[in-house]
Amino acid sequence: MSLLLDHISFKPTEEYHLNDISLRFDSGKMYTILGRTLSGKTTLLKTIAGLQTPDSGSINFEDTDFLSIPVWKRNVAMVYQQFINYPHLNVRDNIAFPLKQRKMDENLIEKEVKVAMEKVGLIGFESRKIQELSGGQQQRVALARSLAKKAKILLLDEPLVNLDYKLREGLREEFKKLFNVSDESNSILIYASTDPLEAMQLNGDIIVIDEGKILQTGTAKDVFENPATAKVAEITNDPAMNINKCLIQDNSLIMNDSVQIQIPDELKSVPNGKYLVGIRATDIFLDDQGFAFDVEISEISGSETFLHLRNKNLKCVATIEEVKTYNTNEVVKINFDKSKIYLFEESGELRHSPYQQ
Amino acid sequence: MNFKHKYVFLLPGLIVLIGILIFPIIFTVRLSLSGWNSFNPGLDFIGLKNYIRLFTDDPRFWQSFFRLSFLAITTVFLQYIIGFALAHMVWKDIKFKRFFRVLFLIPMMTTPVIMTVIWRTFFHESLGPLNDFLSIFGVQPPWLSSPGLAKVSIIVVEVWQWTSFMFLLMLAGLLSLPKEPFLAAAVDGASPFKKFIYVTFPLMAPISIGAIIIRLIEASKIMDTVFVLTSGGPGTSTETSSFFIFIKGLREFQMGYAATASFTYLIIMIISLTIIVKVLTKVLMRE
Repeated sequence: MSLLLDHISFKPTEEYHLNDISLRFDSGKMYTILGRTLSGKTTLLKTIAGLQTPDSGSINFEDTDFLSIPVWKRNVAMVYQQFINYPHLNVRDNIAFPLKQRKMDENLIEKEVKVAMEKVGLIGFESRKIQELSGGQQQRVALARSLAKKAKILLLDEPLVNLDYKLREGLREEFKKLFNVSDESNSILIYASTDPLEAMQLNGDIIVIDEGKILQTGTAKDVFENPATAKVAEITNDPAMNINKCLIQDNSLIMNDSVQIQIPDELKSVPNGKYLVGIRATDIFLDDQGFAFDVEISEISGSETFLHLRNKNLKCVATIEEVKTYNTNEVVKINFDKSKIYLFEESGELRHSPYQQ
Repeated sequence: MNFKHKYVFLLPGLIVLIGILIFPIIFTVRLSLSGWNSFNPGLDFIGLKNYIRLFTDDPRFWQSFFRLSFLAITTVFLQYIIGFALAHMVWKDIKFKRFFRVLFLIPMMTTPVIMTVIWRTFFHESLGPLNDFLSIFGVQPPWLSSPGLAKVSIIVVEVWQWTSFMFLLMLAGLLSLPKEPFLAAAVDGASPFKKFIYVTFPLMAPISIGAIIIRLIEASKIMDTVFVLTSGGPGTSTETSSFFIFIKGLREFQMGYAATASFTYLIIMIISLTIIVKVLTKVLMRE
């Protein structure tokens, strides 16, 4: 069974929120929609859930026209970025809510609620009021509610964004297990995220979306190694891949008049001309023989340091694998890992990837 | 700030409070223990005679009280249902939403006494437009001169006049509700009707209780409508507590006895409203 989106468009104002989206989701699989904020992720999930009606296009699930079915009759569960629960109900009743709507047997509800609560670790909180819980606990209530429902389609809209780091890591690990996404369970899990790292970790199929348009679909490895366009490369890397204009002339890659590198062998076949060069922040390293750049901003993140560098009109971000403080306008010398250079056409399409065979 | 005379600054407020609230209450209690009437004006002391008379020898007061309870509860119940329904209607995105919102508020903006005069004309047995219309079907109900129908007329006028207020409170309440639970409920499989029962209604419970209590307090003071529409008639069949007290005190000039009735009425109202709040909280908020 699969969920088919066919040419879905939604344009409430001048701008497209969803622009001609066609996708196929197979049951028993997990999908990650990766895109920046306002790229249309939430709109897409809401459209699948039925909270929003697209202007054109069709959605088909299990051979039925999904758009003709009102929200409450679609077998869908959704967890939102904000912790959405029923403020007037206690934890137990919150989780039981979707089951009660189905007029399930009371004893069965009791059992299902208990199972769901155990999974998310909320045992002992049954009669607590929602307002008495912490943010993490509130989100776990929402998760438990969607688990208990055992829906065919599970929509998770950045469910971990507002949680603390520890909890986020823990829950992410468990997602696949938690929602029992496997060939036997035949449910579809769609997970929206802004975080490329999260998307890679979840290891499902990745759908890259920007400005309401699907840019690329594929496995995590595929999208990471061979981004279809420069835009995809920016979205799927954190910090974003450094994309700069460059000129290829006589076997050298010219970024500006002082930053010029000899091109590696595999790029020798590329004809001279204007291109976009893409280098991951992690593929830039400190090198005393390298190019001089001014430090614009330096930020420490965990055990790494992000350096925002500048050489005249050329800007890039580098990840340094150590914690070190740099002063603004300090000069650092860096070099690029030539074997990891991406090349895009001026229009954005991928020309060369280091992982290409 | 720690100087001797700081409490002096509380005096203006305190004097006003004593002057308009505390003194009248104490004076009423004292008055209720006197036999002040038009033949014998003055604050003499007759002990609990008035209270004994009220509790043992005045069915008219109790009748008017139970009539008042009936009218207040019926009108507030109807106002709540209709007000909530109207508010719910214009809460959603419908055409001419703003127009309806203003339209439903118009009754509240009119002067109650004048509107009641118009209603009295409307209900007039032989000259009123209502009976003129009903005569097509061959009936001319005595709207204001039969004990039963007179109550119905009062209920109609009260509901017409004050549903707006309920509408306003309920609409404000609906607009202040968080949107998220409704999204969740839709996805969780609640049909629009169930969404109302399981989400809207319980979320509105605190506001509902507030609105009902405010209206109950207002409705139990009902006076102008009765005064203008029926003057308590026919007989005493639409006489309410406040109207009874008004007659005793300001028509028959039995000041002492009217004070007794007022004070008794006040105590009963405080007790019953407290109970009503408790019951409503239990029923509506399931606590």
